[in-house]
Amino acid sequence: MLGGRTFTRARRQIVCMIVALACCRAVSAAGAPSQAASDKRATRNVTDETGRRVAIPFSVRHVVTLAPNLTETIYALGLEDKLAGDTSFCDTPPAAKLKPHVGSPQTPSLEAIVALHPDLVLATTSINRAETVDALARLGIAVYTSDPHTVRGMLDSVAGMADLMGASEQGAALVAQLQARLDAVHARIAELPLVHVLFVVWEDPLITIGQNTFIADALRWAGAESAIVAQQNWPQVSIEEVVRLQPEYIVLTSDHSESDAASKPSELENLRTRPAWKALKAVEMGHVVVASDEIDRPSPGLIGAIEQLARELHPEAFALNADGRNLVGAARVQLEMVASACTKKECVSCAL
Amino acid sequence: MSAGAGGVALPESQRVPYSASPSLRLKVEQASYAYAATDRSAPKFTLGPVSFIAQQRELVAILGPNASGKSTMLKLLAGLLKPLSGRIEVDGMEISELDLLVRAQKIALVAQESELLFPLRVWEYVLQGRYPYGRRLRFESDEDCLLAGNALAQVGADALRDRWMDHLSGGEKQRVILARALVQQPSLLLLDEPTQHLDIGGKVELLRRLRRLADESRYSVIVVTHELNLAAEFSDRIVLLHKGKCPRIGTPAEVYQRELLQEVFDAPLEVEMGYSGRPRVILRGSH
Amino acid sequence: MRPLTPRRILWTCAGLFGVLFVMVVISLRMGAYPISVRDIVDTLYKAAMGRREEVPVEFWQVVFGLRLPRIALGILVGASLSTAGAGFQALLRNPLADPYVLGVSSGAALGAIISLIVAPHVVGAIQIAAFIGAASTITGVYFLGRRGGQLDSPTLLLAGIVAASFLSAIIMFLLTMVTGSELRSIAFWLMGDLTAPPPTTNVLGWLGFLFFVFIVAAGAMYTTSSDLNLILTGEQEARHLGVNVNRVKFVVYIAASVLTGLAVSVSGAIGYVGLLVPHVMRMFFGTDYRLLIPTAAIGGAIAIVLADTLARTVVAPTELPVGAMTALAGAPVFIYLMRRRMR
Repeated sequence: MLGGRTFTRARRQIVCMIVALACCRAVSAAGAPSQAASDKRATRNVTDETGRRVAIPFSVRHVVTLAPNLTETIYALGLEDKLAGDTSFCDTPPAAKLKPHVGSPQTPSLEAIVALHPDLVLATTSINRAETVDALARLGIAVYTSDPHTVRGMLDSVAGMADLMGASEQGAALVAQLQARLDAVHARIAELPLVHVLFVVWEDPLITIGQNTFIADALRWAGAESAIVAQQNWPQVSIEEVVRLQPEYIVLTSDHSESDAASKPSELENLRTRPAWKALKAVEMGHVVVASDEIDRPSPGLIGAIEQLARELHPEAFALNADGRNLVGAARVQLEMVASACTKKECVSCAL
Repeated sequence: MSAGAGGVALPESQRVPYSASPSLRLKVEQASYAYAATDRSAPKFTLGPVSFIAQQRELVAILGPNASGKSTMLKLLAGLLKPLSGRIEVDGMEISELDLLVRAQKIALVAQESELLFPLRVWEYVLQGRYPYGRRLRFESDEDCLLAGNALAQVGADALRDRWMDHLSGGEKQRVILARALVQQPSLLLLDEPTQHLDIGGKVELLRRLRRLADESRYSVIVVTHELNLAAEFSDRIVLLHKGKCPRIGTPAEVYQRELLQEVFDAPLEVEMGYSGRPRVILRGSH
Repeated sequence: MRPLTPRRILWTCAGLFGVLFVMVVISLRMGAYPISVRDIVDTLYKAAMGRREEVPVEFWQVVFGLRLPRIALGILVGASLSTAGAGFQALLRNPLADPYVLGVSSGAALGAIISLIVAPHVVGAIQIAAFIGAASTITGVYFLGRRGGQLDSPTLLLAGIVAASFLSAIIMFLLTMVTGSELRSIAFWLMGDLTAPPPTTNVLGWLGFLFFVFIVAAGAMYTTSSDLNLILTGEQEARHLGVNVNRVKFVVYIAASVLTGLAVSVSGAIGYVGLLVPHVMRMFFGTDYRLLIPTAAIGGAIAIVLADTLARTVVAPTELPVGAMTALAGAPVFIYLMRRRMR
């Protein structure tokens, strides 16, 4: 058995060797396909928000976005003519639905993207996968990934993206506008203590947000903070813990296909029927707020969501046209008295 | 051996010469074995020393009640155990020193059952018996097919050739298993309690077949059994085992003595002379 | 009585290669990017002639950057998984055995998750870590699965199941500690993904290396195919016929585990292929392992290329993970096979 078998095995091994060598030859011939003759057009090297170096052409004519917030940003900047394609999830504004689709944000078709001949692809760490970005980079396509963690960061992102697409002016204008609105909100509520809320990401199991999430930052801008303190991004908590903490407000997010006005009462009714939730003072007092789902989306629409949330959480701060911050503090108590015919015996600040 | 399609003749170094005395197939010389005790209450079991021979064309029965050492003896003969003392030689060569493949060429152990995982045809199953005669990765030659056909004919299973193994009856399957052992062209054909699951008709048919195979062949047939009358009727030599000892070896007439059998089998037995001239054992009435 | 001959094996394989070739051509043709067969052939021809500059950049990207690597990887993974599955079915004497039953994929998954947590953007880390995870599991299960110093099939099966459960528990724990983007990556990796980037930019070299490992492992398993045929009729009987059962079990264990580790490291845990393709091939070509191993390999390649093509086109432009497709198709095939056996 020795002679025959070793011979066959040797024969087989020689064949393997030849095959392997042939592959290596082919390697040097074909080379790495990612060279993509970096377009004879001029490019500049930019570092994106994840630290990757990307070579972006000076004139960007076709852009493909891989996430709804990016599409929204493009429209807000007025650059929708450059938008060659977006994902099937991009529906804000409605016109975005009519653009050619490349698939879902998580599993887009690379070929569909290539077919649109993009000069630049925009991605974000909050929805897209690193593998998609890597694959596009290997094909020699410029991908710029944003990585927003805070609201301010989002504004910087918007400015950065505008720069990339040669729309620095529009970018600066948009950012200034959004910043002004943020400042206005901040002015009204800066003196007020932060409202403790329970931000419900998912009801069952009950999942809320951690300190380091984008939503937490947006909440702070709206004058609120999560009653649950956690380092994990999406901590799962028990309803008993919430009962113990007794947050002042419950914040739910709407499915953006429903309108806010319609869903709030039904959500409240829903919560009032749940045994553990009934025990919450916030539910009892009707302090249930439905925030626009834009609250989690790093896009210009976020500012609107913050404004709306601030208004619902701090109604007294928005009742007056604020001419100055000083008015807010003192006038607040008077307002309460006047508005609700102060009946509380403990109303010590009632100086009138 | 000729080279057939894909088959290659075994190199010289691997072909084994027959021993000086060509008809002596098996020689057991003072072979013994002992199991180490695994727990205090069970005593060490010792077999032997045992000595006997088997010539070609002989059918030897290893006979004894339960726990007499028959299985141990069989394992020694099959090369599964190495004797602690003494020698066991097949065709003049010590079994425990044989290479796996050579041992398979010399000794065929007929399995009792065949647990097939996937469906297999009878001829495929029988052809597997040619495994010891070639390289590890081998393809069957024309000669292999011829031998397989002959083996099937010898056991009267020629008509079963294209049937599926798991569609066979118990008796048919046993014949096929026997054919696979025959195709090994062994010097020793070993069977371990082959009549266990058969009815009386089946038992007789099997022993008759074994007898005929022994008569027409160049190998020895060794059958381990506790069937007293079948052993007497069909075997040339009986090796009687009792609690690890070997009280008697000889022809059936020599071995079947009343007192000896009663002691060994611990039952009220009587020995008579049967029609064929061979002894017959009957059970005395209960008094 | 028609015994198996090398010629019959070669002709059967040639036929199956033909089917594979057709499958590859169809797969090359399908995709979101509009490129005609003529252009594809032209690109391939020019590549072979070394005239790369004449090919439009995008054609090159699509053919050599997207479609071919995916198809090549699919062939490799499919062949590896099916061969491994056939091997495990014989080793464990169990028709329900698939390449993952001994915990190799759980070990690889654990390695992948750890690398995603610890070194998320290091190129090639995930494959190497997955392979290390697989290799450790193979070794661990080997030592657990021995009895009296030799591999014992029932013990091995139990050891593998225990290892798989234990590793899955650790994976579950880690998943709760992992953040959004890592979670997404892991989820897709676990489902099976043929688009994973290779650890080097030298795609052809990478594929060549994988192919080499496949040939060595599958070849080693093939040398025991006669032995496996005998072992399948009973281990003791095979021993009596001269088969070195312990050596065969060891070789098959290592070869099948290496094949599984290879497949899982590069493409995650694609299911059903390793279980079903050997059975389908048995249905067509019989249970002789000398024929089954090569036909299972080619059959597995065909299955994965087909599944991947469907995964890319069924809900275009969204791409389904390959594992989802094999599961969708695999379940009905499995039911059909089960019913056939019962008849």
